[in-house]
Amino acid sequence: MLPDDAVDRINAGCQTIATMCKNQGIEQWEIVAYQSYGHQLDIEAGKISLAAGGGEGGYGIRVVEGGRFGYAYLVDVESAESALKQALDIARASPSVAGFVLPSAQDAPKVDGLFDQRILDLGPEDLLEQADAILSEVASLDARAVVTGGGLGVGATASAMLSSEGIESSGITTSHGIGVQVSIDDNDELTSSYEGDSSRQLLPDVPSSVASAVHWAQVTRGPIKVDTAPQDAPVLMTSEGFSPLFSMVVPTALRGDRLVRDESFWSGKQHTKVLADDLSLIDDGRMVGGKSASSRDGEGVPTRRQVLVDSGRLVGSFWSTRDAAQQVAEGRIEAAHTTGSAVRGGHQAPPGTGCKDFTMTSKNGGHSQDALLERMNDGYIVHSVMGAHTANPTSGDFSVTTSTILRVENGEILGPVKQAGLSGNLAGALLDDVHLGDDVRIQGSYSSGSMHLPDVLMMQGLRINPA
Amino acid sequence: MVMSASPTDGHFPGTGRYLQQSKIQAALGHAQDLGASYAEVRLMAITDSTVALRDGKLERAIPGQEIGVTMRILADGAWGVHSTTDVASLPGQVESTVRLAKAVAARRASKDRPVALAEVPIIESEDHWKPKKDVRNTDLETKLHHLNTLYDSASEDDRIVSVTCGWHDEHLHTELITSEGMNRTWSFQRSLINATVTGRDGGDVVSYRTRHGGEGGLEVIESCDLGALGRSAQTATLRLLKADRAPSGKIPLVADRDLTGVYIHEALGHPCEADLVAAGDSCLDGKLGQTIGNDIVTVVDDPTIRGGYGAHPIDDEGLDTREKCLIKNGVLTEYLNHRETAHHFGITPNAGARAQDGLHHPLVRMSNTLIQGGTHNDLDELIEDIHYGVYACGSRGGQVDTGRGSFQFAAQEAWLIENGELTRPLKDVSVSGLTLQILKDVDGLTKDARLAAPGFCGKGQTVPVGDGGPIMRISQALVG
Repeated sequence: MLPDDAVDRINAGCQTIATMCKNQGIEQWEIVAYQSYGHQLDIEAGKISLAAGGGEGGYGIRVVEGGRFGYAYLVDVESAESALKQALDIARASPSVAGFVLPSAQDAPKVDGLFDQRILDLGPEDLLEQADAILSEVASLDARAVVTGGGLGVGATASAMLSSEGIESSGITTSHGIGVQVSIDDNDELTSSYEGDSSRQLLPDVPSSVASAVHWAQVTRGPIKVDTAPQDAPVLMTSEGFSPLFSMVVPTALRGDRLVRDESFWSGKQHTKVLADDLSLIDDGRMVGGKSASSRDGEGVPTRRQVLVDSGRLVGSFWSTRDAAQQVAEGRIEAAHTTGSAVRGGHQAPPGTGCKDFTMTSKNGGHSQDALLERMNDGYIVHSVMGAHTANPTSGDFSVTTSTILRVENGEILGPVKQAGLSGNLAGALLDDVHLGDDVRIQGSYSSGSMHLPDVLMMQGLRINPA
Repeated sequence: MVMSASPTDGHFPGTGRYLQQSKIQAALGHAQDLGASYAEVRLMAITDSTVALRDGKLERAIPGQEIGVTMRILADGAWGVHSTTDVASLPGQVESTVRLAKAVAARRASKDRPVALAEVPIIESEDHWKPKKDVRNTDLETKLHHLNTLYDSASEDDRIVSVTCGWHDEHLHTELITSEGMNRTWSFQRSLINATVTGRDGGDVVSYRTRHGGEGGLEVIESCDLGALGRSAQTATLRLLKADRAPSGKIPLVADRDLTGVYIHEALGHPCEADLVAAGDSCLDGKLGQTIGNDIVTVVDDPTIRGGYGAHPIDDEGLDTREKCLIKNGVLTEYLNHRETAHHFGITPNAGARAQDGLHHPLVRMSNTLIQGGTHNDLDELIEDIHYGVYACGSRGGQVDTGRGSFQFAAQEAWLIENGELTRPLKDVSVSGLTLQILKDVDGLTKDARLAAPGFCGKGQTVPVGDGGPIMRISQALVG
């Protein structure tokens, strides 16, 4: 999938651009390069609809002179001269941030589990066979069930970073992902569920998400009648339902720049209670096999494991080098330093700030679903929500809709509700009486990073509005 | 090497084009020799610029150029696709892509129909929507001037703690060459400016987002009163600081044109996409010709509305774009389609194919989608007989489950309607419902339909869209 000399090639490209930077006497510079290859299959209407392959990549150049920075990106090294000029022009037109310099080189121990040779060895035929296995599995689990959308893919990315401060880093990561939208259209009732799995390591031929998608398409059939009056109620959100809302709201609130600029609902709350006393939030940029882990962050700073909320108290925040320098220079905080939390989405933009592999844990440990339902007594289970991206990360307020919702009475699942609104303030709902499940699952994110979350029972602060 | 765009990272001398036609035509011919029934190469070169201003200071400015090319090959009734940033490498990928297509075809069950494409006119042309002021010639100083105008007007209050302003412009150049002889080049531009205003009063913190943009160059930004746009965002932010939470339940809803646009995009537009219908993932499957809405509801999707953020002259399969009438007086009249789905349903292709960029294959997508105007004169007339309801304004986005036909969209702010009057400001209003029910519950539209703020639509790929309409009244909606 990936040419043997992929890393050598992008390293050579970085060196070429670095030479141009040196020749022009640029004070500080940083070059990143990415080159990705992959294979992908789309599935529609119960069959493979398309097979695709290919690759893409490019270079990003950040230059810093006197605390001013400029950035430009390019596809072809031959256009580096012009991109470099643009970056310099922008730097010279930008305000100086006192104290902002590119990070110096530090040792960054390797993080294991980010590469799997078995993925590199996969070809399109292997993916076609995996798709066959998934389609067969869905049919065997429920003859009515059809994979109406989704697909699977494998990828490999060679990346490199080279800076004037001595950072020189390169490597290859791999990924394997599947997602299936399973629908059951029978007796004039259509139900569906989307589930996915992804990993840096080779996934099983039929990941557990396939059976989960069929399960949720099955258990949401035959909606029961419920009282349609809006009510405050306990809600058990599965990891899949909770993660989109959580990732939209919480990591953003922990960005250091937003905290000191009063742009976070946790601004001014350092060292005070912001979550239930047993809950902690941890970001681990060095998680073995972590989907967003790496030995260095987007600025080349070694990544770390850091506690953001410890036993309910806010104790940390995410910083990149530039954000830290800027907020100090503007007098919003006395001192701030990078936490190795610079993140990049690719070569087309300079680094931002955010989480890597983000977890929520409880001192009380995790509980089985039966135990959580017993504690809930009367309430709802919500497995997916529509509109999580409309949640307000500044306030934590949200109002979303769900069609995968089950009514619970006396600790027992009574049946599905056709549709309901779910609203509240996430920070408020997590402040007290929160109980976690015992099965942590990895989810994607609306911000940066990956979410490692169990099911979450919130006993207060949420409102259900059945249709 | 993937990251080699072309021999000169630019046009071939004297042609104004990136693709070397003789080589591409030879590659397409080779694909046919190997058994392909159809093959195409589509290249997109995007020159863009992004600028961000935070509290009046330049945060970042990023100029960039991206080139991507996608080869799509149809063999034995199945698709093989290869995408790359290395244009020159494409001819070398023909054989493997044909093999890929044939491998997919070999797995097709006997009950499944092979993919085939509807016939379309074969056109050779160059079509350029020239902007009045080419945005590529706009210097950073000019962009900063406009961003600062927006910032200054949005920030004039102590309770405004932060204003972030953004600029994005892009020049899109596309070339399409097909084995059928289609050979088209087209280009156009888009420009966008936006602001996010954050307000704080004690422990209450809120934010409000505003945008202006459309197809075109610098004239798009210059046509906007940025001072008024900023003041309006500031006023809305301060209002939200004093707003109450919205009531929950089924109540009458009035939506401004921003929200009307998002509603029709989510509730109707997506279920009308023929690829979703063909996949068995649309609640509108089998409903062409049926009444699905109130007879006051007429909905069009029209990429030819110049200035709309979803406007484009030619679709990504090389068809001239045109208006599609999705609902006419409550009757479902047309799906959005591309050549594959047009053939599948035996209908006329209507140029609904769009790809995010040169590295993605085209899907059926919306462009500028709007409900046409009705008979009410204004907002006052729409709300005068509402005893208790909500008037919701501005969009924070939406989402739809096309198969189930359920949707959700969220407003930026709202007012309570009591006895025909707007009384208290509200926040955190979202609306959900079922497509096939709520289209029947639309019972009032003002006369003046037009596109509202620009937006983005995600369907695995992200494309810019324009949505809008008049002010709309829904007799009963689930508000949360």
